[in-house]
Amino acid sequence: MSAARLASASAATAHQRQWFADLHQEVAAGGDLALVNADAPQEIFRAMGIPYVVNQWWSSIVTAKRRAQDYLGLLRERGYPDDSEQYSSIPLASAFDPDPANAPWGGLPRPTIVLTETTGDASRKIFDIWDTQPGVSFYPLESAAENDVPARWWELMPRDWERAVGSDRLDLMTGELEGLIRFLEQTTGRVFSETRFAEVMDLVNEQQEWNRRTRDLIARARPCPLPVNDSIPSVMIPQWHRGTTWARDAARAFHDEVAERVSTGAAVCPEERARLMWIGRGLWFDLDFYRRFEQSHGAVFVWSMYLAIAADGYLRYGGDPLRALAARFAAFSDQLYTPPWSAEWYVKEARHHGVDGVVHLVSEDARGSYFTTRALEAAGIPVLELHADNVDARSADGDALTRTVGDWLDRRVRAGD
Amino acid sequence: MSAALARLTSHGTDRRAAADEFRARHHGGVIGYVGADVPVEYITAAGLLPLRLSGTPGAPSAAGDRCLGTGLDPAARSVLTRLLDGDFGPLDGVVVSRDCEASLRLFYALRELRRVDPALALPPVHLVDVLHLPHRTTTRYVRAKLGQLRATVETWAGRSIGDSALADAITAHDRLRELLTGAAALRRSHPARLTGTQALTVVAATTALPVDRATALLEALLTEADQLPEHEGLRVFLTGSPHDTDHVYTALEDSGLLVVGEDHDWGDLLFLRRTAAPTEAALAERYQYNGPAAPRASIRARAAHTRRAARECGAQALVSYARIRDDAPGWDYPAQREATGLPSVRLSRQPYGALGDEAAEALAALAGPLRVPAEPAR
Repeated sequence: MSAARLASASAATAHQRQWFADLHQEVAAGGDLALVNADAPQEIFRAMGIPYVVNQWWSSIVTAKRRAQDYLGLLRERGYPDDSEQYSSIPLASAFDPDPANAPWGGLPRPTIVLTETTGDASRKIFDIWDTQPGVSFYPLESAAENDVPARWWELMPRDWERAVGSDRLDLMTGELEGLIRFLEQTTGRVFSETRFAEVMDLVNEQQEWNRRTRDLIARARPCPLPVNDSIPSVMIPQWHRGTTWARDAARAFHDEVAERVSTGAAVCPEERARLMWIGRGLWFDLDFYRRFEQSHGAVFVWSMYLAIAADGYLRYGGDPLRALAARFAAFSDQLYTPPWSAEWYVKEARHHGVDGVVHLVSEDARGSYFTTRALEAAGIPVLELHADNVDARSADGDALTRTVGDWLDRRVRAGD
Repeated sequence: MSAALARLTSHGTDRRAAADEFRARHHGGVIGYVGADVPVEYITAAGLLPLRLSGTPGAPSAAGDRCLGTGLDPAARSVLTRLLDGDFGPLDGVVVSRDCEASLRLFYALRELRRVDPALALPPVHLVDVLHLPHRTTTRYVRAKLGQLRATVETWAGRSIGDSALADAITAHDRLRELLTGAAALRRSHPARLTGTQALTVVAATTALPVDRATALLEALLTEADQLPEHEGLRVFLTGSPHDTDHVYTALEDSGLLVVGEDHDWGDLLFLRRTAAPTEAALAERYQYNGPAAPRASIRARAAHTRRAARECGAQALVSYARIRDDAPGWDYPAQREATGLPSVRLSRQPYGALGDEAAEALAALAGPLRVPAEPAR
């Protein structure tokens, strides 16, 4: 049987729409709102009851609604680059939107606090510009790097995170978080309760344990029981609400739905002949892309980083809760983008899911792709590098991308059929 | 040309010559480094030679492009290519700073290549993660990272670095910074006694020479200052990407400009800040508060610095030159233009070590209305 859209995906999307509508009202009534980067320690905001919007989530909404080019144009009009960190910069243009009422989902309410780590060369600049907007305060967090790291981080992170991340980075990030808490106490008048924070941290671990079980179910299932573009909202919308009982329960509902599908033999593509992994950010301007090769090639995307990093990247047990939170974020992007961590992890996940090939989205930015592609090929897994930006459709010809993947499937993945 | 300037120019251009001499005399002992955030004082204190690694514009960089991808500053890709080609001669180690994302990615590439392809026989590599937010927690972190670097350099040198040797090295490098400040004044004088190209090359020479030799040559240059010829041109302040070779400066000055100052760390930013005391604690603060460099400083800090520095140089115009895939300068420019209030031109997505096709026209448009005598620096 062919799989219908996941109920958990529809429920998550409906929840998000209602939450965002409520948020509009709260902010209109004078409430605080934070805009935070995806790899920032959102748990502190959760514990203090400060609502937040995730910068990259808003970017994905703008892009999916085909407004990314309008927003990049607003940056260009003000003399800012339109070809630098678009995934992070598109939401900034919301501040310049002359017609916010007609923006996607009613537009991004004006934040009062913006937060990012000082990663890359441009991230903090984007938030510097937010800082010049009336009523907006920017709190930058350091982003540190380690000279030497143990390669198999996913085995260490849940309980031996001190060794995986390194004490210097944790000392720094814990200090940074203490500073952030004091900043938020002073700017919002809200209280940081250690008791409440411990509850939030426990809920996050429970949620990610469900995600881990779901990831493992999908890895073992043949055929693949759900489309990857359904799994993204099912895991990511609750991810942005982590630390709440709703998010924990949504992750469990997602798991139970996948388990049910596995038990009934549901299939995305009943004629599944090739299992594919998508490495890179979501292709927000063309989410249907993921399903374009099912009929033509029997090729199904069974993996994206969103569920996998939820399964492996967030769990932190033991120790002081604030230091554990520091351990969640001090090296978060290293897990995805820095060798040897990234390269070894993608190989582990490719084997775990039994993939026949990997499509690797490579944007024209600093993160590079060589070591991940090299490691996968060395493990005997064919890799296709697709060069495009995940939110800026100017960089990609959709038909050409489709042809490229189709040709590659014929030539390398299914050549031996 | 003054003899000292000729020798400095020679070492600024042939950046390997002093390292080869040092290697021959000491049977090795050359440490390559990437970025102005590397505390070279430790390398000097250990009796080793710090050699700042630079790229080669126009030379093929296929190996660097392959490992780092083409989304990264081509200067870093060129440095990696040269390291893989052995262009710098035998190095006993490489220290990489976190002065920009390209440097960090270069470090990761070197570390991973050593892990997965030991046959390449790359030198050992160490990251010194100097960070820059103005927080006490950052200072403590930088102290820890400097301690790690000290231990690594001791291992490479085969001997410990005593506190007195470190204090001497701090004093020596600060003396060099003081002399570089004196040399920078020669390009700012009316008329200028050094061109921007010459000034850039002098600074580059001091990152290839042992500190005592660089100091002696700079002292000689300053002694000979009155004999230096005078230089004319539209006085411009250069902001944007750093320049590890003189190609762009030469092209700018060939078009009638005189680069009287800049805010990148192959130039004036390299020697702006001194160390408050000859101690490791002061050294950590010196490097933490070094800058403000485009990739690490806030837009506000950059604009304030550019405004102040351009005024001190008596600049008549602002030129922003941003290399392709060097992301930070483009975000800084609107605030810098407003803060300086100077006529300005923006050169975006420029090729490594060259001016793009539209640059000549843009520069001519800038220079046309401004061919008037400059006011003395305030």
